[in-house]
Amino acid sequence: MKLGRICCGLAGLLLSLSGMAVEGWDWQLPSHVPEPRVPQDNPMSAAKVELGRHLFYDPRLSGNGTQSCATCHVQEQAFSDGKVLSTGSTGETTHRNAPGLANVAWHATYNWANPAIVTLERQMEVPLFGDDPVEMGITDGNRAQVLQRLRDEPLYPPLFTAAFPEQDEPLSMGSVIKAIAAFERSLIAVDSRYDRYLQGQGGLTASELRGKDLFFSEKAECHHCHGSFNFNDQVVHARSRQVEMPFHNTGLYNLNGEGAYPFPNRGVFELSGEPRDMGAFRAPSLRNVALTAPYFHDGSAATLREVLGFYSQGGRNVEHGPRSGDGRLNPYKSGLIVRVGFSEQEIGDLLAFLESLTDESLLRKSAHSDPWQGD
Amino acid sequence: MNTSKCFGLLASAALVGACSHPVTHEAQSQSIAFELLANGQSARCSAPLGPLGRDQIPAQLHDARFYVQDVVLIAKDGRHVPLQLTTSDWQNANVALLDFEDGSGQCVGGTPETNHEVRGSIPPGDYVGLALTLGVPPGLNHTSTELEPPPLDIAAMGWSWQAGRKFAKLEVDPQGGAAKVDGSRSATWYVHLGSTGCTGNPVTGETVSCLRGNRLPLLFERFDPRQDAVVVDLSALLAGSDIGRDQGMAVGCMSGPDDPECGPVFERLGLSLQSGEPLQPGHSPSVARGARP
Repeated sequence: MKLGRICCGLAGLLLSLSGMAVEGWDWQLPSHVPEPRVPQDNPMSAAKVELGRHLFYDPRLSGNGTQSCATCHVQEQAFSDGKVLSTGSTGETTHRNAPGLANVAWHATYNWANPAIVTLERQMEVPLFGDDPVEMGITDGNRAQVLQRLRDEPLYPPLFTAAFPEQDEPLSMGSVIKAIAAFERSLIAVDSRYDRYLQGQGGLTASELRGKDLFFSEKAECHHCHGSFNFNDQVVHARSRQVEMPFHNTGLYNLNGEGAYPFPNRGVFELSGEPRDMGAFRAPSLRNVALTAPYFHDGSAATLREVLGFYSQGGRNVEHGPRSGDGRLNPYKSGLIVRVGFSEQEIGDLLAFLESLTDESLLRKSAHSDPWQGD
Repeated sequence: MNTSKCFGLLASAALVGACSHPVTHEAQSQSIAFELLANGQSARCSAPLGPLGRDQIPAQLHDARFYVQDVVLIAKDGRHVPLQLTTSDWQNANVALLDFEDGSGQCVGGTPETNHEVRGSIPPGDYVGLALTLGVPPGLNHTSTELEPPPLDIAAMGWSWQAGRKFAKLEVDPQGGAAKVDGSRSATWYVHLGSTGCTGNPVTGETVSCLRGNRLPLLFERFDPRQDAVVVDLSALLAGSDIGRDQGMAVGCMSGPDDPECGPVFERLGLSLQSGEPLQPGHSPSVARGARP
């Protein structure tokens, strides 16, 4: 990168930032979507979101400088990575599948099964600092070096100052976390063909409509766990007074015939040790679900068709290997998971409906894209 | 206003006139010494620890840090008088970090600085005992390492997936590693103590309650701060454990209620693995009064 280009880039960026309101954020939501809750100590601003975007795509934020948030959260894949499990910056494999990030602002809890983590700011400490497995690999030993790398990038000091004007030393790891959280809250997907249909701005095909009716019916029962505007059942928004945090065992495993899931993926049980929490995971949002394969917490279903086959059977019977056991008979399985026995046409209709939940604009919006590209 | 509060205010050199009792002496500085032992010797990164565990495997120190809260000296008349902690990189008003690793040897990745004392001030008096708790107070436990001042800013003591802190991080490297059930070996055998089964409130964004506190209260009815130290004994802590192998879940014990290694470790700590409450309040088989080094 040549100095002249840096200066031009910086000038252009500052110019664009100067036109942004310091405080406030226009969520631009359709009427069927409530504004999300935003932590009081981390209000949204255009400057903060822009800083967060730069950090999200910056591999200098990992201990060894090789990996950014975007390594496992790719815009074209609705901010998932298409892999069963992901690889951290030092080569270790994650325990669980990298989830998509669309509409994370409304999640009540984060990670696949963690009732303790209720903000994006706290969630981020897991990939940034976690050591089992190492993901971004920031430690007490390299934290200062990581921050110095950011300080040495000409774009960053003015961006941090613009994003955190009230702070004496705006460039800190605390600010990094807040800015990335603000950027993540801006990753919104509420403009799918289904959303337009709801607003009377477009139609769905006959197959998609049959799929929608089946999805919300008492036959398929999908809506019990995926019935909110965000197609999950853990939603917090700006006016929430009370929020439920259900977790579900869907019958993926039954290792010993007594309901066990494989360590370290036993759901909320990993934190609580309570038998009732065995295999209990958060129902993920189904927005953009056509783009976030593979599926389930461990990426153990390759396609949406396989997922629908799983629910059609009311669970999964693993016949061979160390994970064998009939998950359909898991004693901790949710009562909502029953053998539905979908027909081929019903599966086709459900697939068509799920594909109508893709918001193409999320995948293309330049405000969500890699700002370091083209430098 | 009780006497201790009065002295507390005196210690902060404020509102002397507000105290209801006449006070003739200013608060005095007081330190409480800590020591970490293995096989009767100071356990440090630089020297072998000798054989540890039920399986008596030669081991080296990998990490040894822990937080303490609610440090109280017990006066001769039985009064419990809080030690007003002096703010520094090692302690704030409510919690202090003890650190026996210096980043050398097998402790690679740690911090060079060490701390073997809790420092504070206390009204003059005849103190004969000590009470303290191994832990971080609930109101501070769930804060972020990246937003809190020292000593709660240590990422290694963060426990991100439990949205809290490790109260104690005691780790040893057994010679040859620890054999895992999948056939692989882990270089390190871990003891991580902290609150588990925690739940947050998405409406407030705060972590609000935990099923198991796992804080360890300690009471020494006889303790002379000038001569005595609080001694954490790795030999005692690991006496019921086989550190050359791991039978499942986390390697060693990371406070998992169903981790086979946690039964013996929690028993030696003096905590109930199921409830997170002390088995015999004030008493831990792994912590004793010893000579001040």
